[in-house]
Amino acid sequence: MAAVTAPTVRAGLPGLLRHRALAKLALLALAAAVLVPVVGARWASGSWPDALTVDLSEPLGRASEWIIDNRDSHPLFLYFLGHVSNTVVLCVRAVYLVLLAAGWAGVTAAAALVAWRVAGVRAALGTGLAFLACGLLGMWVPTMQTLALMVVAVLASVVLGALLGLAAGLSDRTYRVLRPVLDTMQVLPAFAYLLPVVLVFGIGVPAAVLATVVYAAPPMARLTALGLRGADPGVLEAVASLGATARQRLVTARLPLARGELLLGLNQTIMMALSMAVIASVIGAGGLGDRVYQALASVDVGAALAAGIPIVLLAVVLDRVTGAAGARLGGDGPENSGRSSALLWGGAAVLAVAVAVAARLAGRREWPEAWAVNIAEPVNRAVDWMTAHLYSGVPYLGGTADWAGHFTTWVLDPLRSGLQGLPWWSVLFLVATVAWLIGTWRTALTAVLAMAATGVLGVWEPSLDTLSQVLAAVAVTLVLGFATGVAAARSDRVERLLRPVLDVFQTMPQFVYLIPVVALFGVGRAPAVAAAVVYALPAVVRITAQGLRQVDPAALESARSLGATGAQQLRQVQLPLARPALLLAVNQGVVLVLAVVIIGGLVGGGALGYDVVFGLAQGDLATGLVAGVAIVCLGLVLDRVTQPTERRRVKQGA
Amino acid sequence: MRLRTTAVVGALLLLTGCGAADMTKQASPFANAQGAKTVTLSVQSWVGAQANVAVAEYLLEHELGYRVDTVQVDEVPAWDALSQGRVDAILEDWGHPEQEQRYVKDKKTIAHGGDLGVTGHIGWFVPTYFAKQHPDVTDWKNLDKYASQLRTPESGGKGQLLDGSPSYVTNDKALVKNLDLDYQVVFAGSEAAQITQIRQFAKERKPFLTYWYTPQWLFEKVPMTEVKLPPYEEGCDADPEKVACAYPHTPLQKYLNADFARNGGEAAALLKNFKWTTEDQNQVSLMIADQKLTPQEAAKKWVNGHESTWRAWLP
Amino acid sequence: MGAVTSTAAGTPVFSVEGLWKVFGPKADRVPADPELTALAPAELRSRTGCTAAVRDVSFDVRKGEVFVVMGLSGSGKSTLVRCLTRLIEPTSGRIAIDGEDVLGMDRARLRELRRHRASMVFQHFGLLPHRSVLDNVAYGLQIQGVGKSERRARAREVVAKVGLDGMEQRRPGQLSGGQQQRVGLARALAVDPEVLLFDEPFSALDPLIRRDMQEEVVRLHREEGRTMVFITHDLNEALKLGDRIALMRDGRVVQLGTPEEIVGSPADDYVREFVREVPREQVMTVRTAMRAPATAEEAGRGPAVAPDVTVSEAIEAVARTGTPARVVDGGRCLGVVDSDALLGVVAGTHPGAAPKPMSAPGAAPKPLPAVPAQATAAPVQATDKEADAEAGGEAV
Repeated sequence: MAAVTAPTVRAGLPGLLRHRALAKLALLALAAAVLVPVVGARWASGSWPDALTVDLSEPLGRASEWIIDNRDSHPLFLYFLGHVSNTVVLCVRAVYLVLLAAGWAGVTAAAALVAWRVAGVRAALGTGLAFLACGLLGMWVPTMQTLALMVVAVLASVVLGALLGLAAGLSDRTYRVLRPVLDTMQVLPAFAYLLPVVLVFGIGVPAAVLATVVYAAPPMARLTALGLRGADPGVLEAVASLGATARQRLVTARLPLARGELLLGLNQTIMMALSMAVIASVIGAGGLGDRVYQALASVDVGAALAAGIPIVLLAVVLDRVTGAAGARLGGDGPENSGRSSALLWGGAAVLAVAVAVAARLAGRREWPEAWAVNIAEPVNRAVDWMTAHLYSGVPYLGGTADWAGHFTTWVLDPLRSGLQGLPWWSVLFLVATVAWLIGTWRTALTAVLAMAATGVLGVWEPSLDTLSQVLAAVAVTLVLGFATGVAAARSDRVERLLRPVLDVFQTMPQFVYLIPVVALFGVGRAPAVAAAVVYALPAVVRITAQGLRQVDPAALESARSLGATGAQQLRQVQLPLARPALLLAVNQGVVLVLAVVIIGGLVGGGALGYDVVFGLAQGDLATGLVAGVAIVCLGLVLDRVTQPTERRRVKQGA
Repeated sequence: MRLRTTAVVGALLLLTGCGAADMTKQASPFANAQGAKTVTLSVQSWVGAQANVAVAEYLLEHELGYRVDTVQVDEVPAWDALSQGRVDAILEDWGHPEQEQRYVKDKKTIAHGGDLGVTGHIGWFVPTYFAKQHPDVTDWKNLDKYASQLRTPESGGKGQLLDGSPSYVTNDKALVKNLDLDYQVVFAGSEAAQITQIRQFAKERKPFLTYWYTPQWLFEKVPMTEVKLPPYEEGCDADPEKVACAYPHTPLQKYLNADFARNGGEAAALLKNFKWTTEDQNQVSLMIADQKLTPQEAAKKWVNGHESTWRAWLP
Repeated sequence: MGAVTSTAAGTPVFSVEGLWKVFGPKADRVPADPELTALAPAELRSRTGCTAAVRDVSFDVRKGEVFVVMGLSGSGKSTLVRCLTRLIEPTSGRIAIDGEDVLGMDRARLRELRRHRASMVFQHFGLLPHRSVLDNVAYGLQIQGVGKSERRARAREVVAKVGLDGMEQRRPGQLSGGQQQRVGLARALAVDPEVLLFDEPFSALDPLIRRDMQEEVVRLHREEGRTMVFITHDLNEALKLGDRIALMRDGRVVQLGTPEEIVGSPADDYVREFVREVPREQVMTVRTAMRAPATAEEAGRGPAVAPDVTVSEAIEAVARTGTPARVVDGGRCLGVVDSDALLGVVAGTHPGAAPKPMSAPGAAPKPLPAVPAQATAAPVQATDKEADAEAGGEAV
């Protein structure tokens, strides 16, 4: 059957596509034929014409001056933003003090017991060990700082996200307005969120928390809305038929029915908050992220790793626990009666308090320094060895520095000069063509407008520079990712081996691997690309493998029964059927790559990333904000251009 | 539904209506936990600044019984944070006249904390091994001759002038343009990346030209020689677009939050008295950056060996 | 249009008149415009973009009867039943429950209707997956604001009634389809409604379980005598459960009558085709098959059968004795059935279209038709005369 299906798919679908595509192309060609002479006559071709740019540095600079001058006097700050800021500080402080008062033993016990109650014994063990590891690495206090910040940020995100999601879930109009906004916010690099909050709140914890909330609330809102809207209509009808009021319907049916999505939303929010909490160290978040950032400054990969591992552990633990809780709630485990459940919870709480008190009485509230393990040195030695032996002069293969050089000379440079050499209108048409062929005219329009916006903002050249890096990195990521994904899909052993590696790389703060990357590839765009590849690869591998594995087994079986070889199965059945997953992988890859290419500004990636870093570092909000907006536009372009008509439901990873 | 909306609005009003909240006077949430007296110091990303902070931190904690929080912030934002009291002191400032005007002179939220005792200087450097082979490279007029040797993939057809963190004071783009040099400024984006790159070059004994500054511990590991630029004269760097002269020598300064300077007690006094030499700072920096001691350990070592120096700082 | 009205059995539970449900843009204009109402469905869609799911339907549901609406998928039967409690808002027409206008109800009154007077059992159960069986059954009471302990006690009784004792704490996901539908049934029963509405409740179940469930419904109906409106696409189910059946096609009721009328006297070719495969001897009664006794001797001999005995039972009696059987009602001989007549029923050649008398309100449970009926049921679009005739028949 599959052997029958596959050819029809190949002959039928592309045939149809070709017709539609041809029509679109013809239309675009017509538009180009009309517009280009007009445009060419009016403005010079080549780079973006000056006449079409708007210089924002003046007003932006004034705005930032105004804010600084009025921050301690204007009512807006005194009566609103000041309270917001103070509330954040107060909350973070409260949580932090509670965590410190509980001591390491109390916190570990409490965390493990919560994990036990919601996710079972294994998760509890993992959680306990993870917290102990944080202590062993000498990172207890920073971990608590990050945790305090996270707790507040996640709670705020969840409340905000759930409220927005509720509004969007219940009202069609709100949903129509909110959805594109939320979709867009999810594809934007975290870095782009930093400047605006710094502008208003200044460097420090409030800004960090608020940036985190803005970054982490959208998935909650999206999934809440999705869950509410996706509730089984049959159940809702049954509920209505019993005469339930709208409120009863919401509370007793729609919300409980959406529990799976709500928990998934919580999970995603936590993961995104964690990754943002690290990046926000650039604006004074403190905690683990700050340790990573400080270690970066002294080129100390080992120390960066020592602070990075607790982040990874926190992420994995939080992910597993919320994931397991979701599976448990969604599943049909025997229902505990309310009383016995309350009893167990109560027991857990008492136990946690007992442990905390016991540790306190034993004078062991702070993590004993003697128990710390220094991993920095061995790691640094390993990194040194690696760079010493791989950097250059490897026989036959050349060193990593040579690869980086070749990659820059033969891929990045031609790509950049090619893009920058194209007349500006042809870039727009290119964007329009690709976006329209893959998506709808709406996506194409958004993409073109966003691309044009970078020109209007006066950052056409750096945007194209960043774009060239993204394209190169995406190409590398896809080649590696699809290959690995196919391998993982075909062999269980490969997948088992890959899984922990992918977990670690997906949650490791990007800052941690910037330095080894520089040590291997030197300074410039090549290491930025390398870091982006490392970061985006896990998601691409995962989605590819998943997509291939989820191909209808019946189709595969019938292909096998017709005597198809492994390669034939892959080429004729699995890959065509996994097409949506592969497209999703491309989209995800692009979004993630962009996020890191921006951070690549820290290692010589230049372009927009450097502008943002510069803006943050110099407090030059004009440069930073313009670059930030350009990044947003670029993110929109890249997302829309790679967005298959069916939108992904859930963003994987952070 | 409406009831809830009203409640939310009401809560907001209650929250905002009950008085002014000045977020510019706000401490870090992590400060003063568990009843300790806390000082928050700003650490800049370069190691010299870490050395200052490490020693100050060590003395504050061990001699005066404070708890010290450090926050890594870039220079300009650090001024802002300092003015808001989110950090109490910056121990090494390379000169930000604009910020000084605004915060010290106009708003009076920041107080000058005296000299650090270290003189900073920015310049262009080539590795000493290269300067020995080609002594004339140390004059900017001859730089074009070596452009081809200093080429990298990143700089394209021109020679590469490696620049560092975007937070640093630099006129290099203008300099290259105004001195009409065949060079391309490549921004490493962070000091960490720049140092890593320099050490890789040095390991291979490759020539390079870099923006760098003294005092800096890296000189101990990679000896570098300064390239002479047209001499600095007062005001020659007034217009950043037209700069065509060398960077000045800057006596590094300390700044304290104004409230902290007044009410900071012993901590403020210690930080005002804190003053050491370039050699002292380099010693600590080197221990941190090269021997990979933690800043605390490095500070401890230095403190143990230089009691006479720091005794004088104690109030 | 001629409506089937009830004059004798008091106010009908549901009285539906000229009901339309049109989906699509500006649906309102369709029922009002005679030109549009005359169009065939496909034509209507191409002309107006509208789909008429229910077209000018009228019927009464009498107290205590099982009223079956039968039709293939897309015939509008599910829409129809949802219109009864305005889960779907009808486009035009009139619906009354116990004489009270449903379409005129405000939201509170409508909720009241749904909470206490009519509850529904759904094809896909519509259970809340996060609640235990007990809490699902008690859900309707919770909606009404009944206290926890009371509603649980009442739910426990109903759970026992539908045969789910011991499963109170399970989740719906842990039950089989049949058990889930028992929960759905229990939930509807728990609120003690006046009418039970079933929307194809058993079509998602396996055949054996379906039979069990049908018998469960028969049992419940026998025990409680509750009025039921039952939607199905399964003719056998309809014949087995229904006191009266409304057969729908393309949104219209093409025939309304007792099972025997539908099988014995199909109103048109569509219905005839529909009932072709039905084992007629199990539906038709001897009252239909009998003829007047030819001789007094004939009237005095042979096995006696009641008029509402099915043909297949009569065949057995006739075959055993080898003589024609007498149809005896209250000691009086109404007629006789011989093997020829019985064979005629099985073969479908029996004329079966005798006039009068008409069926009385079906109060007794199925499967045995309470009162024999001989007359052809009038399709809904019957003439006034026929409608009168039928009404007259009911008075018997």
